[in-house]
Amino acid sequence: MKKKNLLLARRLTGRHASLWVSVLAILLMLVTAGILLLAMGKNPLAAFRSFLQGCGMLPKENYGGGSGMLTDLLDFLNYLAPLILASLAFIAAFKAGLFNIGISGQMMLAGFTATVLVGYNKALSPVIAKPLVLLIGLVVGGLTGALIGYLKYRFNIHEVVSTIMLNYIISYLTGFFINNNYVDMMTRNSRTCTPEARLTLTNVMIGDLKGKIPLGLIIAILVALLVSFVFRKTVLGFEIKAVGMNRRCSQYTGIRVSRIILLSMGFSGAIAGLAGVAYYLGYTNTIIPKSLPGMGYDSISVALLGSGSPIGALFAAVVVSIFQQGANYMSSSIGVAKEIASLITGILLLFASCGNYMKFRAERKIQQAADLAPRSVPAPAAGKPGDRGVKTL
Amino acid sequence: MSDYKSDYIVEMRHITKRFPGIIANDDVSLEIRKGEVYALLGENGAGKSTLMSILFGTYEPDEGEILVNGKPVKFHSSTDATACGIGMVHQHFKLVEPFTIAENIVLGVEPEEKKLGILPWVNIRKANQQIAELSRAYGLEVNPTDRIADVPVSVRQRVEILKMLYRGAEIMIFDEPTAVLTPQEIDFLLQIIDNLRKDGKTIILITHKIAEIKRVADRCAILRQGRLIDIREVADASAQELADLMVGRQVKFMLEKTAPQFRAPVLEVQGLTVKNEHKFDVVKDVSFTVHGGEIFAIAGVSGNGQGEIADAIAGLLKAASGKVLLNGKDITAMPVRERALAGLSYIPEDRHETGTIPDMMLRENLALREYYKEPFSRRGILHQEAFRSYSEQLIQTYDIRCAQGPETVLRSMSGGNQQKAIVGREIEEQTDLIIFVQPTRGLDIGAIENIHRQILQERERGAAILLISLELEEIMALADTIGVLYRGEILKIDAAEKMTTQEVGRYMMGVKEA
Repeated sequence: MKKKNLLLARRLTGRHASLWVSVLAILLMLVTAGILLLAMGKNPLAAFRSFLQGCGMLPKENYGGGSGMLTDLLDFLNYLAPLILASLAFIAAFKAGLFNIGISGQMMLAGFTATVLVGYNKALSPVIAKPLVLLIGLVVGGLTGALIGYLKYRFNIHEVVSTIMLNYIISYLTGFFINNNYVDMMTRNSRTCTPEARLTLTNVMIGDLKGKIPLGLIIAILVALLVSFVFRKTVLGFEIKAVGMNRRCSQYTGIRVSRIILLSMGFSGAIAGLAGVAYYLGYTNTIIPKSLPGMGYDSISVALLGSGSPIGALFAAVVVSIFQQGANYMSSSIGVAKEIASLITGILLLFASCGNYMKFRAERKIQQAADLAPRSVPAPAAGKPGDRGVKTL
Repeated sequence: MSDYKSDYIVEMRHITKRFPGIIANDDVSLEIRKGEVYALLGENGAGKSTLMSILFGTYEPDEGEILVNGKPVKFHSSTDATACGIGMVHQHFKLVEPFTIAENIVLGVEPEEKKLGILPWVNIRKANQQIAELSRAYGLEVNPTDRIADVPVSVRQRVEILKMLYRGAEIMIFDEPTAVLTPQEIDFLLQIIDNLRKDGKTIILITHKIAEIKRVADRCAILRQGRLIDIREVADASAQELADLMVGRQVKFMLEKTAPQFRAPVLEVQGLTVKNEHKFDVVKDVSFTVHGGEIFAIAGVSGNGQGEIADAIAGLLKAASGKVLLNGKDITAMPVRERALAGLSYIPEDRHETGTIPDMMLRENLALREYYKEPFSRRGILHQEAFRSYSEQLIQTYDIRCAQGPETVLRSMSGGNQQKAIVGREIEEQTDLIIFVQPTRGLDIGAIENIHRQILQERERGAAILLISLELEEIMALADTIGVLYRGEILKIDAAEKMTTQEVGRYMMGVKEA
């Protein structure tokens, strides 16, 4: 038992520490969710299996005509695409030390603008309409983000405050226009977009199965690579990280902090805009007025679970999507309300945000083990032997 | 054990305290007699503050036990320690700035009364009176209704002492109490400590200044790297002996400094005024000139505008009026980076907040002045190889000790090595002007010697050096010219050899012409 603990501690302090923290967070979440399901009198293993079945990762007992495991998997990917983009948007701002919780609003405004300008225009060919939708997403989201950055450095308004307020403004403003001009009388949502503008190709025949092809997923992966490149390889990424880690030192080295704040919020907003068009002109194809997408908040869990890494977010988004997208099937097959998906995401966020605490405990454990061991074995976390005053106390 | 009657008021037995990566206290045992002044001597990081934080209940020891008045005690927080009659004046004062002196003193032990039998109510007027009496009784004159934000450092320290007295402390711990005081204020404080002893209080004095120990302490425990090295009767030990015990080797007190050779003026500051966010002049109409090959030192008590002068010259703060010339060129309106490129480097006061990005790696921190230039980056793309080779070179040249080489996360390094990294990074720029603010704060004697030698080397090279320090000793040892700053104004500028420590100290307290 003692030895096993130490093995885990080594993992949590080693080179791939962030990865192991995420793995541990997922395991803890599964255990906690399992206990919850047991308390409700359900078999947790059956529940977890039905989540996977709902996402096309395990076969269901029976399928309707024209659908199969692949159909479910494509539906899953269709949901995954905007979630990846939304979490990348969160990461872009988070690296600069900014907490963009206005991703929902930025998604909605970008989705709404693209729907109104392109989605209802039947004259455009898909070759023009689809890139135009992406462009509108980028520009509208980017400008919204830049506005938040501007409010921050010009008037010192905290981004959390301004994004929450903007979320309300966007939600009610778009709701007003949808209800007045673009409402579908049957569903009470906005009218659906043309297939030419939609970023998801529907009713594509693959063999004898009908499926959706989410083009947004390609965009999402490209953007993940781009964000990763910017933060690992470029001067701009270095400066954004520097501002995020220590604003005063950045100023001292001559980085123009206000410019970086504006840029990274714009960058974040632009990606959120892409998430918005992938969501509203891909996944849902309609806008429910005055209802902000929960995905904007799930993206924070995804980013934290991926420990702030763009590539990590790709995998973390898969985990979160399994619960969100698989909830419907799980609910119908074992009879637990599908809201449990959000509960599970919340539990996951809780454990993922304990990552630093876990690392701290692990370091401590290793240290104690090293202190108990014979003196000749140097502790890995300690400074060089003979280096006087390793740490100022 | 509990019935045992002790001669000692405090006994700490076999105390061991570990932090991740370091043993702060390693099997330390002390016995302190009632009514003595007991000094704890050691360099920074020797474990003095940790040991006393354990006695004050801030930390719990991993091993060992504490006895007060012969009875074993276990402190879980400073509240427990206070209840046992232990008080502490921390190095960084724990005061609420917008509150008055009296409010700060009674905070947590408010004299509560019940109005109309039920409504709890603090009788601050009564507290004001009590505190005024207390302060007169001990010669610690304060005005109980002044706000902390409006009073100078020396008064704040008196408030901290009164706080202990108000709580009826019998054992008083002072953590580096003289670090922020002028020589005259130090005299006053040592007098107060002496009075407290005569009144029967037990004093524990944490310090690395041997002169103070010689003046007031009865006994002295020497700590080095967490271990208790020796306990001496102060009357029987010479200053040299104590210094050698503290450092663990022979200490050289004097620096070898060549005669100054001034060259052309490099930095000219003309009528510089800087305002803070409340539109208050923190730097008032300051003018001085620093030549190549000259060390110009600004002396002054902490908080008199030192940091603001440096920040304004480096471009981190805007000048409200006045001019800054570098090599004859007006740089007053230039952004930070252009000033640096024009020939200015700057070792700021705060290593963690300004000088480094602690969560980045050493190699990135060492390249903070260079990363945007070739070969570190080309067309916006970084080249990590250049970072690595540059940092390896600096690690070698400046003897920066780091566990994982260029990849060491800066935060995990010791303060001395962090400072070496900053000094190395800035000196490597080979600029005409180098600003050092508090370059040796919190460093041990070896590191201080090292940095002083580097400052003198840069002077030899012909760089103009602006040295801003709170350590008068440092200024007297290094400066060619001294300017004394008081409340944002320079009261006096003169050649260093024409001024004595006492004179500089007088100007630091705002006495214009004696």
